[in-house]
Amino acid sequence: MPKKVLIVDDAVFMRNMIRDIFTAGGFEVVGEAANGLEAVEKFRELRPDITTMDIVMPFKSGIEATREIVKVDPRAVVVMCSALGQEALVMEAIEAGASDFIVKPFRSEDVISVVKKVLGEA
Amino acid sequence: MNWDLSRYLALFVSESKEHLEALSQGLVRLEQAGAGGEDPTPIVDELFRHAHSVKGMAAAMQQEGIALVAHRAEDVIGALRARGGAPGSEVVDVLLAATDVISGMVEKAAAGGSPAPDEAVAERLDVQASLLRGVEPVAGGVSAPAKSAVEPAARPLAPPAGRRLRIEVEVLASSPVPAVRGFLVLKRLGDVGRIASSIPAAEELRGGRMPDRRLVVEIETSLPAEEIERTLHQIADLARVEVGEAEVEVEETPPAPRPEPPAEPARTVRVRAELLDDFLDVAGELLLATARLREIGRATPEPQRREHEEGVDQLQAIVKDLHGRVMEARMTPLTVLTDRLPRAARDLARRTGKQVEVVVTGAEIEVDRALLDEIADPVLHLLRNAVDHGVEGAAQRIAAGKRPTGRVEVSARRERDQVILEISDDGRGMDPEALRRAAVARGAIGAEAAAALPEAEVLLLACLPGVSTTSEVTDVSGRGVGMDAVKRNAEALGGNLSIQSRSGVGTRFTLRLPLTVAIQPVLLVRVGAEVLAIPVSKVHGAAEARLEALERAGGSPQLAFGGGHVPVHDLGTLLGAGPAPEAGRRSVVITEGDAGRVGLAVDQLLGQQEAVLKPLHGPLSLVPGLSAVTVLGNGRPVFVLDVARLVAP
Repeated sequence: MPKKVLIVDDAVFMRNMIRDIFTAGGFEVVGEAANGLEAVEKFRELRPDITTMDIVMPFKSGIEATREIVKVDPRAVVVMCSALGQEALVMEAIEAGASDFIVKPFRSEDVISVVKKVLGEA
Repeated sequence: MNWDLSRYLALFVSESKEHLEALSQGLVRLEQAGAGGEDPTPIVDELFRHAHSVKGMAAAMQQEGIALVAHRAEDVIGALRARGGAPGSEVVDVLLAATDVISGMVEKAAAGGSPAPDEAVAERLDVQASLLRGVEPVAGGVSAPAKSAVEPAARPLAPPAGRRLRIEVEVLASSPVPAVRGFLVLKRLGDVGRIASSIPAAEELRGGRMPDRRLVVEIETSLPAEEIERTLHQIADLARVEVGEAEVEVEETPPAPRPEPPAEPARTVRVRAELLDDFLDVAGELLLATARLREIGRATPEPQRREHEEGVDQLQAIVKDLHGRVMEARMTPLTVLTDRLPRAARDLARRTGKQVEVVVTGAEIEVDRALLDEIADPVLHLLRNAVDHGVEGAAQRIAAGKRPTGRVEVSARRERDQVILEISDDGRGMDPEALRRAAVARGAIGAEAAAALPEAEVLLLACLPGVSTTSEVTDVSGRGVGMDAVKRNAEALGGNLSIQSRSGVGTRFTLRLPLTVAIQPVLLVRVGAEVLAIPVSKVHGAAEARLEALERAGGSPQLAFGGGHVPVHDLGTLLGAGPAPEAGRRSVVITEGDAGRVGLAVDQLLGQQEAVLKPLHGPLSLVPGLSAVTVLGNGRPVFVLDVARLVAP
């Protein structure tokens, strides 16, 4: 059974791009969220195997959402989608419980390889 | 025994804060002493004393949480003292963190709470104390919460001290941010064991430093090495992972007991700062009341008038003396402000991954306490600016033939009744052309006017709201938001800001400030029936002119002054008092706005006067163009103008 992915990003463009990467990589994208609040709700509802998480978003940041998701399920795999210059925020996210991170601009194979590593499949 | 401790609370809080401040400053000095090969012993002794005092006071206040953390900090310093030599930045980091934690707890205590000890920092202190003593840390603190990517069982709570493993990790060269990856590795290792040491330390990684993309960590764990390897295998972008047994060196150094030097006898009393403010207010009121008496005396018929004037003269002499003494009591050395700077620079440098040293000179100069309060933020901002935008990263500095460590000098000196504060760096300098372009692009100034500005004034364009040459916004010194506040602040205090810079060599910000903010000479002017005051420090001169006869440019008449032309505005119109008189000779005060000199046409110049300035409160403080209020001898209140904001478009 393909692994389930939840994509969290406030930019539709980014969500589409990440969805395409995962779909092509043999994952099933089960949901999308445009902010941290929605992310936590969708996570509770969908229980994805992987959540990709933007950091700076309206209403609730990706860091806060990560912290809450990990509280909901300590086994949750949250991969941060960051940009160069956000190092401090990524470290904060790691402390909040993020499993790993990718740095924009990313290539599709990078995303898949990080996720497979985290899932223990590589 | 059960008595009311709350009556000691204010004193406990203020004294604890002093010790904690001294602790924080001392730690930064200790680190510098270590780097400079200086004997750290006296500093360590001093630190020990401060920690010890805080512990003792907290215990007495039954603030057990504070006492516990302070006790652990004291332990670390004690171990440091026993071992001798300077500590690594890891130890300093932990002690600084502990100082901050205790400060936060003291704040809570001040609000009536009894804060519980911060377990995380207490444990970090324990680990450092053990390491310094050459003993393995004892297990039993609070461990990081468990979290597993695969199975909950794979990541148990940090196990009690088992063996010590040495883990060496190298991040792939292609990894975009190796230090963050290193941080992730360290975090994961913290989940499966207790971190005994880490090179680079977590703080270094936070600052983006990870030489050769290598990380060497020693952890205490009871998990097998394979388990650790499996955990690390789930992290992407690692070129190499080696897990092996660590060699443990045990060094026995018995702590040498050292008597504490006796406390210095105090010849001072503590006075609440607000009380000093009240004193100054009252003394200022007395000065004003005396001036009013003098006015009244002028209307008195001759024989009594003379006696009246003698009485007023005597009263004025006494009141001036009183005022002088109150001012004296308020004088505070600049060290109160500058002592905080090295720590601020260190924190910032670590965050930005730069190496910076701060050298402070002349800080023993005393200035009015109110001035100190007002300039604290601007000076801190200039320092941050220097570290953030001025000083380059080590690599860039080396490439430019400079020392890798940047230098920021903060110097203070007195010139007559002014204090001059300079914050200079040996960094990359400012780019006048870029500033011109930015200011023009923002519409703050026309392209021609920008091209014609002399360099000293071009640099000041950085102080216009929203103009900044840094292409990237950082959380440290923002984007031009702070610089305009710095300039405005200096001017509101009756001082000014100037900037000198040479590309590639460095930048110097100079703040010229009055020693006191309470009394300033002002120029009184009349517009219609209104009397207004302009700070003399902002007045360049005065002239008379028929505005209708002047050439106009940009909608304003242009007055020839000092070899150039200044635009003239009608003050009455600016204040919304109706249209200016059609024609006739007008007096023009030449003063300065943000974009250079401006003339203010008024009906009459009334003369110069020493004014006791009082800040505006409530809705009045929101009126643009007014900075303060003063009261004339006849009891009439007069507003002091903030010319820059008055003429701002």
